Amino acid sequence: MKYLYSWIKELSNTNLSPQELAQKMTKHAFEVEEVKKIGGKLEGVVVGHVLEVASHPDANRLRVARVDVGTEKLQIVCGAPNLSKGQKVPVALIGTVLPGDFKIKKSKIRGIESCGMICAEDELGLGSDHEGIMVLNENAQIGKNLSDELDLKEDYIIDLDILSNRGHDMMGHVGLVREISAVEGREMDYDYESLNLAEMKAEFEDRDRISVKIENEKLCPRYTGILIEGIKVTESPDWLKKRLKVLGENSINNIVDATNYVMIELGQPMHAFDADKIGNKDGIEIHVRNARKKEKIILLDGTDRELASDDLVIANENEVLALAGVMGGENSRISENTKNILLESANLNSISVRKSRMRHGLKTQSSDRFEKELDPNLVEKAARKAVDLIKEIAGGQEVDLLDVYPNHVEEWKIDLNLDYVDRLLGCEVEEKKVRKILESLKMKVEDQGERVFEVTIPTFRIDLQNQEDLIEEIGRIYGYDHVEPQEMLGVVRTASIDSNVSFEMSLKKFMVGFGFSETYAYSFYSKKDAEIMRIDEAKHFELEHPMNPSQELMRLSLIPGMLNFVRENLKNFSEIRLFEIGREYYRDGDSAVEEKRKLVGAVVLEADKKAETFFEAKGFVSELISKMGIYDFYFQEADGSDSNSPWHPSRSAVIHVGESGETIGRVGEIDLMVLEEYSIKKRVAMLEIDTEKLKELSQGEREFEPIRKYPDVTRDISMLCGSDVRVDDILSSIQGVGGELILDVDLFDIFEIEGENKNSFAFRIIFGSKERTLERKEVDTIMEGIMNELETNLGVEVRK
Amino acid sequence: MLEQKILNIKSEFLGEIENVSDLDVLNDIRVKYLGRKSELGEALKGLKDLSVDEKKKIGPLANEVKNEIASKIDALEKNIKSQASLLKDRIDVTIPGKKKEVGHLHLITQIQSELIDIFSSMGFDVTDGVEIETEEYNFDKLNIPENHPARDAWDTFWIKGKDGERKALRPHTSPMQIHYMESHKPPFRVIAPGKCFRNEATDASHDHTFYQFEALVVGDDVNVGHFKNIAQQFFSMFFKKDVDVRIRPSFFPFTEPSFEFDISCTVCDGKGCSTCGRTGWIEIGGAGMVNQAVFEAAGYEKGRYQGFAWGFGIERIAMMRHKIDDIRLFHGGDLRFIKQF
Repeated sequence: MKYLYSWIKELSNTNLSPQELAQKMTKHAFEVEEVKKIGGKLEGVVVGHVLEVASHPDANRLRVARVDVGTEKLQIVCGAPNLSKGQKVPVALIGTVLPGDFKIKKSKIRGIESCGMICAEDELGLGSDHEGIMVLNENAQIGKNLSDELDLKEDYIIDLDILSNRGHDMMGHVGLVREISAVEGREMDYDYESLNLAEMKAEFEDRDRISVKIENEKLCPRYTGILIEGIKVTESPDWLKKRLKVLGENSINNIVDATNYVMIELGQPMHAFDADKIGNKDGIEIHVRNARKKEKIILLDGTDRELASDDLVIANENEVLALAGVMGGENSRISENTKNILLESANLNSISVRKSRMRHGLKTQSSDRFEKELDPNLVEKAARKAVDLIKEIAGGQEVDLLDVYPNHVEEWKIDLNLDYVDRLLGCEVEEKKVRKILESLKMKVEDQGERVFEVTIPTFRIDLQNQEDLIEEIGRIYGYDHVEPQEMLGVVRTASIDSNVSFEMSLKKFMVGFGFSETYAYSFYSKKDAEIMRIDEAKHFELEHPMNPSQELMRLSLIPGMLNFVRENLKNFSEIRLFEIGREYYRDGDSAVEEKRKLVGAVVLEADKKAETFFEAKGFVSELISKMGIYDFYFQEADGSDSNSPWHPSRSAVIHVGESGETIGRVGEIDLMVLEEYSIKKRVAMLEIDTEKLKELSQGEREFEPIRKYPDVTRDISMLCGSDVRVDDILSSIQGVGGELILDVDLFDIFEIEGENKNSFAFRIIFGSKERTLERKEVDTIMEGIMNELETNLGVEVRK
Repeated sequence: MLEQKILNIKSEFLGEIENVSDLDVLNDIRVKYLGRKSELGEALKGLKDLSVDEKKKIGPLANEVKNEIASKIDALEKNIKSQASLLKDRIDVTIPGKKKEVGHLHLITQIQSELIDIFSSMGFDVTDGVEIETEEYNFDKLNIPENHPARDAWDTFWIKGKDGERKALRPHTSPMQIHYMESHKPPFRVIAPGKCFRNEATDASHDHTFYQFEALVVGDDVNVGHFKNIAQQFFSMFFKKDVDVRIRPSFFPFTEPSFEFDISCTVCDGKGCSTCGRTGWIEIGGAGMVNQAVFEAAGYEKGRYQGFAWGFGIERIAMMRHKIDDIRLFHGGDLRFIKQF
C-alpha cells in the first residue's frame, strides 16, 4: 500500500520525517518496501513554447521543433507523437540532470543538432506516463521553472507491506495515521468519530426516493445510498488531481475522483451512479443480488462480461448496474452531463468479491479492499466524507438517504490478564504503559482489578479477537527490543533424532566416501518419463496445476531425474558418480499415499570394457550393504516377471537379503533403449535401494567374532568352463564341499577364451578353523572333493 | 726427516681430497697414497733403516697416517655413492598427486546436517514427516481457515483426485508440528527440516521446490525472550561468530504474536554494508508464539501451554553464507556446482 507523506502529515500532524517514519513503521508495524521522493525543485527544467514543428529529414519518427524558452529559442529533436505547434511543454536545458542521473547534453540526432529535451512525465519523475511529452496548461509562463509553474513541492511515497490480517484497516491513509499516533504515544488528531450520517438520516427518514432490496444479507451486510442532486461534473481541482496522480490513480472527473479520494483516505471503496440513468422521477430501486444465468454487463473498462450465478451484482429493476465491489457498469457512468447521482457506500462479503474478481480476471482498487473484509461501520464514515467533498467540489444537495444495515456490528470486549502479557512476552510491561498503548490504538480500557483489563475493541480492528492479539499490539508498540534474550530452564533430555533422518545421513556420508556426489531432483516428472520408465500413468498422483507439462506427475522412480542429471553432466565430465536419496509417491486407491524412501546411484565410466560399469556398481553396492551389517545378501537375475522395467534385461540383478530372500533393491545397467530416450550414449549402471528396508535389516548390534588363533591355509584353483556356468554355482559348490572350514573364496582372475565360448576362472580358497591348525592332508582331501564336485556336477575342466 | 715427510704426505693428501666428488678421481688418489708404489709406501720402506728409537716413534705415526687416509677415502667414497643414488631417485615433487576422488554432499544436506548437530546438542528432537499432506494438516489445523487469503498466498500444488480427503504437497514444514504435538506431551523442543513445495514461477530467487527448517518449543511458560535466546545461540554457532537477533511484527495464522526476525549482518557485524543494504540487519525468517488455536487443534487444552515456533529457508542461508546468486542451482544437478562444497 502506497501512502503519500504530505497527506499523512496533514491528517496526523506528525513531526517525523519520511525516513524516521519508515524506520518506526518497520520496527513497530509494517515493513517498508520503499520511500520514494517525488517532486521538489527540478533545476534546469523550464516552460517552453513550441513555435514550429518540422519533420526530420533522415528519420520518420523524429521531428525538429523550435522552442522558445524565454531567454532564447532552441532547436530540439523530439520523438514524441503528441508534439504540436503552440504547445507549452517542459524543456530540460543543456546541463540539466534529470532523475536517474540522466544528463542533458548538446548532441546531434541523426545529423540534426538538438539543444535540450522536451520531457515526458516519467522522465521528470512526476508520474508513470511515457506515452508522449507532458503538455502544460496554455497559460503557463514561458521560461518559468517547471517546479514553480506547477507548484511541485517535495513529497514522498511511502510504500508499506501491509500484513494480510490488516487490510481491513490499513488500506486507507487513516489506518497509518492511527499507527503513527500509537507509535508516537499520543492521541490521534484525525476526527473519526464525527464522521457520521445521523443528521442526514433523521432528515430523510420519511423520504422514499430510494429503495434497496438485499437478497442475501450475508453477501451484503450493509448498503447505503445517498441521492445528491444538482451537481456539476467538471475536472477536479488541482490539489485533488495531484494527490490521486502521484498515488497512481487517473483523474476522471470531480465525482469519480471524490469517491476515489475518500477510498484512499479511509479505505472504503465507493461508487457513484448517474441517478437519471438508473431510476426515474418515482425513485431509484436498487437490488443487491446474485446475477441471473447468462446475465451480461458492459463494465467501465469497456469489457463485455457474461456473469455467473455466484457473482454479486448491483442492479435496478431492469438491468445490472455494477459487478459488486469490483467495477461499475457503463450504463450508469458519470458523464459531463450528469446532474444527479446516487452515491453508494456498501459493505460486501470478502470471499464473494474475491471469487468474482478471480473469475473475471479483474483486480481493482475496490476489489483489493473488499477482499480484506471491511468494517461495516466504515461505510457511514466514508459516505459522510464523500458527501462533504462532493458538495465542496461539485456542488449539489443531498435529497435522500437510505441505509440498510440489519445487523449492526457493535464493539466487543476482551479480558486481558496482565500477568499473561508479561509471561508471554517474557518482559514486564507497566500497567499504565499497557493502558496507554491500547488507548492510543483507539481501544477502551477498563481496570477490572486483580491485574485484569477489560478492553473494548473498535469495530475497525476486526483482527483483534483474543488476548494474544492484544499482547501482540502491546509487544510491537512497546517494542520487541525491550524483550531480553532469556536462557531456557527445564527438563534435560537426550535428543531423539528420527531414525530415517539419521540413517539417510549416514548412507549419504558413506556414498560420498565412495566418490559419489549428491544431487537433488524435483519430485515430479512428465507423462513421457513414466512411459519410458514403463510405469503405468494411472499409478501416479497427478498435480492439479503443474508448473509445466514436464512436471505433471509425482515421481514413482528417481531414475528419470538421475538420467537427466547424467546427460547434462556428461557435457562436462567423462566419468560420473551421482546419487540421490529421495521419495517416491505411491497411491493406494484414490487417496492413501505411501512415500517410499529410495537411494539411487549412477555410475558412468570413462570407457566400459568387460561390463566394468556394471561391476563397479555391483561391487559398490555389495560393500554398502555389508557396511550396514548385512552379510546374507545375494544377487539374482531378474526372473522376467519385471521385464517391463527400465533396467537392462541381461545386465541387471535384483538384490535379495536373508533366507526369506526379501528384495531390497536392484543394481545394473539401464536398458540401452531407455538411455537413448534420454540422449545418453554411454553405458550407465545404477543402483536402487529401498532405504527403509535397508535400515530395518541393518538393525541389531554386531557381535565381536574372536580373531582366529590358528593359521589360515590358502589354495588356488583354476578352471575352464562353458559360458553357461555361473560363478554363483561354482561358489556354492566349493562352499558345499568345504563347509565351515572354508572361510572365504575369492575370484581373482577371469578371462574369456576367445572363439571357444569358454571362460577361465581362478579362485583363491582360504581354509581355517577356530579350534585347531588344519593339517595339510585334511585340506588336500577337501580340495580333491571340490575338484570332483566341479567336474562332475558343473562339467568344469579343473587345471591341475 | 722421515717424520716430516710423512706429515707432508698427509697434508698433501688432505689438500688433494678436498672438493673431490668423482669416484675415478678418488680412485686415483687411493692409488697415489695407498698403492704399493705410493710415496707413503716408499717412506715406510725406509723405516727399516732407522734406529730402534726412531722406529718406535715414526712407525705408529706412519700407520696412523695410513689408516687415516684410508678411512677418509672410504668415507668419501660412500658419500659420493649415496649422493649419486639420491640423484637417481630425484623426482619433481611439484607434479600433482594421484587423483583420489571423494564425492560431495549436496550443500542443502550439509546445512541440514549442521542444523541437526547444533539443535540436537541443545536437546531438540528431530522429526520427519510426509511430503504429500492432507488439507487438514497443511491448513485447517494450522488455523488457516477455508477461503482465508493465506491459502492463496501459498499457492499450493494440489493433487488431483476425487475421492477421499484433498491432498497437497506441503507448502511448509509446519504440518510436522501438529503431528509431533499429537504424539508428544510438553515440555519439548523439536526441529523439523524438510522439502516443501509452492506453486510459484521459478526465477533466480524463487523455486517451486525448496527446503525449510522449523523449530518448535513448548512448555508452561515459554516466552519471546526464550525464542530470542535460542535463535541467538543457533545463529552464533552456525555463523561461528556472535550474532544478534532482532524481531519485528508480522502475521501468520498459526502464531500470535507473529514476528519476522533479522540477524545482525554477518559480513559487517551490523555496521552496514552492501550485503545487508546498509541496514546492518539481514532478514532470515518467520517466527511467533504458537497460536492457542493450533494447540487446540493438536489436542492440547486451550491456554495450558505456551510455545514458540520459527523457521527459515535453508537455501536462503546457504545462498547468504556462500554468496550463491541463483536458487535454481540447488535442483540443477550440475556437478560443477555440487563439487564446490
